[in-house]
Amino acid sequence: MSSMAVAKKRRKEKRSILKELYQTFRDGDAATRLSFLVMGFGCLRRGQIMKGLLYLAAQVLFIWFAFSFAWQHLSKIGTLGNVGMQRVWNEELQIYLRTPGDNSMLILLFSVLSILLFIGIVVLWRASIRSAYKAQNLAQAGQKLPSISDDLKALLNERFHMTMMTLPSLMVIAFTVLPTVFMVLIAFTNFDADHQPPGNMFTWVGLQNFSNLFGASALVSGTFSRILGWTMIWAVVATFTNYLFGMLLAIFINNRGIKLKSMWRTIFVITIAVPQFVSLMLMSQILHDLGPLNALLKQFGFIERSIPFLTDATSARITVLVVNLWVGIPYSMLITSGILMNIPKDLYESASIDGASPARMFFSITMPYMIFVTTPYLITAFVGNINNFNVIYLLTRGGPLVTDYYQAGKTDLLVTWLYKLTVERQNYSLASTIGIFVFVVSAGLSLIVYNASGSSRREEEFQ
Amino acid sequence: MKKLLSLALALCLMLSLAVPALAQETVKLKVWGSQEDQVMLGEMVEAFKAANPDKTYDVTFGVVGEPDAKTKYLEDPAAAADVFAFANDQVKDLVKASALYEVTRNKDAIVAANAPGAIESATVADVLYAYPMTADNGYFLYYDKSVINDEQVKTLDGILAAAQAANKKFFMNVSDGWYIASFFLAKGSLGIDANGVQTCDFNNEDGVAAGEAIKALTAHEAFLTGDDAILTGGMGDTIAAGVSGTWNATAIQEKLGDNYAATKLPTFTANGEQVQMSSFAGYKLMGVNSLTEYPVEAMALAEWLTNEANQLKRFEMRAMGPSNIKAAGNEAVLANAALAALALQANFATSQNDVLGTYWSPAEAFGTTMEAKNYDKDVKTLLDEMVAAITAK
Repeated sequence: MSSMAVAKKRRKEKRSILKELYQTFRDGDAATRLSFLVMGFGCLRRGQIMKGLLYLAAQVLFIWFAFSFAWQHLSKIGTLGNVGMQRVWNEELQIYLRTPGDNSMLILLFSVLSILLFIGIVVLWRASIRSAYKAQNLAQAGQKLPSISDDLKALLNERFHMTMMTLPSLMVIAFTVLPTVFMVLIAFTNFDADHQPPGNMFTWVGLQNFSNLFGASALVSGTFSRILGWTMIWAVVATFTNYLFGMLLAIFINNRGIKLKSMWRTIFVITIAVPQFVSLMLMSQILHDLGPLNALLKQFGFIERSIPFLTDATSARITVLVVNLWVGIPYSMLITSGILMNIPKDLYESASIDGASPARMFFSITMPYMIFVTTPYLITAFVGNINNFNVIYLLTRGGPLVTDYYQAGKTDLLVTWLYKLTVERQNYSLASTIGIFVFVVSAGLSLIVYNASGSSRREEEFQ
Repeated sequence: MKKLLSLALALCLMLSLAVPALAQETVKLKVWGSQEDQVMLGEMVEAFKAANPDKTYDVTFGVVGEPDAKTKYLEDPAAAADVFAFANDQVKDLVKASALYEVTRNKDAIVAANAPGAIESATVADVLYAYPMTADNGYFLYYDKSVINDEQVKTLDGILAAAQAANKKFFMNVSDGWYIASFFLAKGSLGIDANGVQTCDFNNEDGVAAGEAIKALTAHEAFLTGDDAILTGGMGDTIAAGVSGTWNATAIQEKLGDNYAATKLPTFTANGEQVQMSSFAGYKLMGVNSLTEYPVEAMALAEWLTNEANQLKRFEMRAMGPSNIKAAGNEAVLANAALAALALQANFATSQNDVLGTYWSPAEAFGTTMEAKNYDKDVKTLLDEMVAAITAK
């Protein structure tokens, strides 16, 4: 369905909700109409006491919540607070006693929470009107109204999906939607080291961070574009080298001439048994300028000076790619060897009868088959590599640093730069802006590649 | 029955009298210190509890070293320690974030007891924000007397020549904003402008001369670098001299034995003349979290942890140089070679007060570029970029 059609359908739905509310009001009797003001009134009026009381309780709770909690935060959402921390001299204790001021972060967080709850109460409000109208219709038709126990039973039977989904949905809202909205909003503020709660307040700055990132601040945008470039190179090269070498390794091990197949496989899989961060930290020590590898090479007389594995821009980039191979190949080998064994043998047999060389067979049979099956895996791996924090941060910490980057180094990915900006520089707003951008890039690329791939378009052709 | 009842009542009465005494408020405090200081801090806090029996203290410890205190604090100020140690270059940023409680109790006594430089390092806009703890957060030169003589050690060129002649190395971690500043600060300066932004003149003529000297040093055969790796790098074996601080003193002394020596940093050649290397004079301070629930008790603890006796204890257990005037005058402290070298270097040192967080990464980046012998851009261009990044808002 095209996006326009989706939007049209949305608009239609929206109109139908308003229409439905209007029709309910028009056709409803006094009790139903009063339900617009007092939630659950229609149910109470028609004897669905428990249901009506629950709706009423929700309304009362919400009004109490709105006045006692939501208002004090929502009223400050425009400025995110204007009263700073106060100090009063206490002669007896000989210190300044402090009274906390507005906490911009809490104001923002609780405002988002309040708005989510407000949306929730609107949904409930609509449900209450609907059930009032339904009760009215049933009563007018002379039918028996469902009691609370009927409703509860329905939740275990025909509406069981609602029962099952309630907790997960609430969890998703609390732990995914709420933090995401909060983080996205941070990108429109000046939340940084100079505006850090609780001592200081931050406020809205509109699109300032985005314009900084895309050109207004030459240092930041220059750093951003070059880090973005390296992130893309890294993601492409890391994904495909891992994939290709893993597949080649799997092919070698699957080869008829190789003995002790399972032993070889086990040896390569053993690297998975060591936690990734341990091997990466070890690697970073081994490859250090004064580390064991350089010492050994010098001892044997292969080199005069230390090889700057991690301290020279180009060699550091090569090093992270190679170490990433070492970490990633076992996984791609495991994934590909299963699929390789599934390729019908008769394809190869007929190809060899036709006199095809092994290379020809690889490119004409193996590769197309593999790509077809593994495109979704490749997309996941690519997006994972865009955000591959571990390999970069544990090996080089983004270094070597260079003078023309803003608080970043030559191997920094957007995600490690983001980390440094938050943890080391407390520049949360800029980091949040970068986070939004990374999300847009990885989601966009995944969608485009997936939709263009054979896996999605020719699904039915797969034997 | 009546007896039983009266007994029960009496018991109740006694309990109700006893409970307020038992339920005396427990003062919960959290202290941050470096990993190596944990044992020592534990002993100091036990002594503090013993000295203040009128209150119940529940003191917990967290391992956050002085260099990381600011970063860790700003991650979540409300969850940070009530009392924490930090290096004085973090004072400005911490004060800007309203992180520190003003030192107002016993202020005059504290000011009088500590060296003026230490007090100055904890003061912003005439307000004292922290308790001076040590006066040794600086670096100087360690050298091997059997390789480098008293004359050679005065100039960087002399040291490099002597080290190379013995087929040994001179160690300095140039890819670190803290150490590399010793060249630039010889004639340059860092400051803070009215908007609270770092100012830096390291790209002027003197700065470029210093940059060229760094380039020459890093290109020298006898030059060796590494993150505080003077010992693992081979001090005494393959390293003849190196720049480091008091935290390595004991280990280097053990390694070098009779050949152990320490002195001020040498001079370097800039535009053909000898210029004395500067350094950062740093102090370690103890601060009180402005969000603490128990300001009075936290201040008492911070003051206790930095008093004369405990500064001496720090010297004895961890060889840290005291900022307390009396403790610094102690015979054992005066006899310490490393602290004597630090005192010599102090004459040429620059206060770390005016250094903001933006300085470190760009300075490290310049050092890294030099160490990597990446000469795609000339020194002047690199320094212009470095200064632009340091002074970025």
